[in-house]
Amino acid sequence: MDSEQTLPVIQVRGLVKTFGSFRALDELDLTVEAGEVHGFLGPNGAGKSTAIRVLLGLLRKDSGEIRLLGGDPWSDTARLHRRLAYVPGDVSLWPNLSGGEIVDLLIRMRGADPAKSRRDELIERFSLDPTKRGRAYSKGNRQKVALVAAFATNPDLLILDEPTSGLDPLMEQVFNDCVAEHTARGATVLLSSHILSEVDRLADRVTIIREGRVVESGRISDLRHLSRSKIVATLTGVVPDLAGTPGVHDLAVDGRQVRCTVDPQGLPVVLAALTAAGVEALTSSPPTLEELFLDAYRDRVDAGR
Amino acid sequence: MTSGSATTGWPLLLRLALRQDRILAPVSIGVLVTMSVASAAATPGLYASEADRVHAGDAINASPAIVALYGPVLDVTSVGELSMTKMTVLYAVFVAVLFVAVVRRHTRVDEESGRTELVGGTSIGRDAPLAATVVESVLLAVTLGLLTAAGNAVAGLDGVGSLAFGAVWAGTALVAAGIGAVTAQVSASARTCAAFAAGVIGLLFVLRAIGDTGPQWLSWVSPLGWNTQVRAYGDQRWWLLLLYPALAALLFTVAVVLRGRRDLGSGLVPARPGPATGSPRLADALSLAVTVHATTIVLWTAAAAALGVVFGMIAPGIGDLLDSETAQSIIDELGGALVAAILSVVAVVLTYFAVTVVNHAGHDEADGRAELVLATAVSRNGWFAASALVALVGTAWLLVVTGLGLWVGYVAADGPGIGNLLVAALAWAPAAWVVGALAVLTLAVGVRWSALVWAWPAAFLTLTLIADLVDLPGWVEGLSPYSHVPSLPADEWSWGSAGGLSAVAAGLLAVAWWRFRERDIG
Repeated sequence: MDSEQTLPVIQVRGLVKTFGSFRALDELDLTVEAGEVHGFLGPNGAGKSTAIRVLLGLLRKDSGEIRLLGGDPWSDTARLHRRLAYVPGDVSLWPNLSGGEIVDLLIRMRGADPAKSRRDELIERFSLDPTKRGRAYSKGNRQKVALVAAFATNPDLLILDEPTSGLDPLMEQVFNDCVAEHTARGATVLLSSHILSEVDRLADRVTIIREGRVVESGRISDLRHLSRSKIVATLTGVVPDLAGTPGVHDLAVDGRQVRCTVDPQGLPVVLAALTAAGVEALTSSPPTLEELFLDAYRDRVDAGR
Repeated sequence: MTSGSATTGWPLLLRLALRQDRILAPVSIGVLVTMSVASAAATPGLYASEADRVHAGDAINASPAIVALYGPVLDVTSVGELSMTKMTVLYAVFVAVLFVAVVRRHTRVDEESGRTELVGGTSIGRDAPLAATVVESVLLAVTLGLLTAAGNAVAGLDGVGSLAFGAVWAGTALVAAGIGAVTAQVSASARTCAAFAAGVIGLLFVLRAIGDTGPQWLSWVSPLGWNTQVRAYGDQRWWLLLLYPALAALLFTVAVVLRGRRDLGSGLVPARPGPATGSPRLADALSLAVTVHATTIVLWTAAAAALGVVFGMIAPGIGDLLDSETAQSIIDELGGALVAAILSVVAVVLTYFAVTVVNHAGHDEADGRAELVLATAVSRNGWFAASALVALVGTAWLLVVTGLGLWVGYVAADGPGIGNLLVAALAWAPAAWVVGALAVLTLAVGVRWSALVWAWPAAFLTLTLIADLVDLPGWVEGLSPYSHVPSLPADEWSWGSAGGLSAVAAGLLAVAWWRFRERDIG
């Protein structure tokens, strides 16, 4: 048990999945450590859902290595699935079953007992009406049905594919609390999203993918460190010419005000130049995840040219 | 009928509907026209002299079971009427099913899936989807009628009669579209609406069957009874053709009125709230499949029992006929002994139960519900086996119910002993299993093929019909599993047929299973 605790919960190396001539996953790597919330980021069509479906044994990989909870998701499917809960991005329910029936069905199908689960409490917290039929639920409410079923038991791994896309802000807060409660008891969470603020708030580490490949992966704090800072300075003296300085991007000079983004290694030179010119006001902000995200893509596009 | 603004945008929706049906409509209409033309081309050769035709027509009219199935031959001297015996009523039911399916697809199915809401958010009127569907149905009905008329005439039947016959099919299509439009308003569930529509068509068929063999006024109540009474290839009653568009217009008006009285997405029958918790029995793939199909199973069971009893009560009189050697031989030419003739049709219809179950599994997969289930501890094998089991066991169950119904009706009508009707019905189960297993295999190959499952029983039915008429090589006819079933109770039970067909079904299921466990989901 101990050795399993230290092994990554998800380990993917060089995963390739093609649909005809389309390469949906192109040598994808993904490591999710036990007990972390791992943000899985990427624009629409980047391959997030495809990767998750391979992890769930729904799609067959073309090549690459996958370990999930110490097993092979293709051959040990049913055994592994007792230990995880999955919420798809677009939840489709049986039109003639009620929400409560579906919640209990999914819990039972994972081998747990709804009566001993937190289903009632969660139905309350998510303000879900469990007596409505599947066809009568809105998108957000369909998502709540899947979320209640997933959060009601104590799975080792939660795989959540854009789980809040239909939820209102109040329900997003409930969702965040639920994720926090599950990580507090030691569960691992793979959270796919393109809502960056959500990942920023919840995730310890992120993997950013695009066109089936990883473009960035690591701790959010490390990625921030690696990335540019945004600097806005109002100077008292003559504005120095920073155009040629290594690591300076997006330079804009408006009278005595300078705006630019700076790579970490360029910061000392830029700060020295600004100080020498006499600083009246200076703000330096770390990049938001949005900027980090855009950065990752821009670099890819630049590298591609 | 409606204000201009409520139907704004219908031409756009009509184009969309025609595009969605660009495969379903031409293929289905093509199959129907082919069957009619094949009958028109081949039958005259089978009954060369007028004496032969009168003899055959008299034999049909003398047997209540065949009249119940096909309707009477009103003019026994007419080549056209004899050629269209199966087409006039029985195959008109398939026309009706096609048009109900088309209407339902563009009304309630779209509404249940939320596509109507998507369209409703644009500058398109509230009644535009229904209006577009009505116009599409009229276009398709007219096309079907004209093609059938032209085909029959080219095949050698009387031109004026063929026009009347084409009009009969077009009229049936219009009425069916009206039935589809009305039933689509009743329930919020597309499946319940389909069940209502099937029930109405079944009722019209049974009313006509009883009317044609007993109190004649009942035949006039049913549009399917009009099909015979038009006497397309005899002394035509042209005025009768006006009844179809009149009834269709009435039904469409009722549909619009009903539509105006309910909210989008709801039915006339308000949806009752469901249980807040799930039954402990609902815990695996099989119990899920049974629960999801419970209403369908109950409705099909009731329909099979009712049809069995009705035909069982009509059937007596067979015994007398079976004694007569000449009648026996004529009946054989028409495709089997009497109860066997009923069962051969019922078996194909009941196979559609298996097809709907498999098709439903395909929808579950395409929509992502299968993914939800397969992400739990339910294995692929379990999910797959559940649908296959409900499909195949359900079909066998329905055959048992039909056999019991036949027996009850037969005994109630004091019929002479003609053997075990339960065994006669069950004899069709292995053939139905083969077709059901083919449907399962189709889904296993890939979910994008799952709509094709509807084609299997229809294809085999067409093959049997054409093989009856045209001199096809034996092996071509033998491709249809239904062709290997002995015509019980006239023939003997055959272990070879039952065993062989069951083995083929098992083989197909094994291939399907082998393919399904290897393939991608969704």
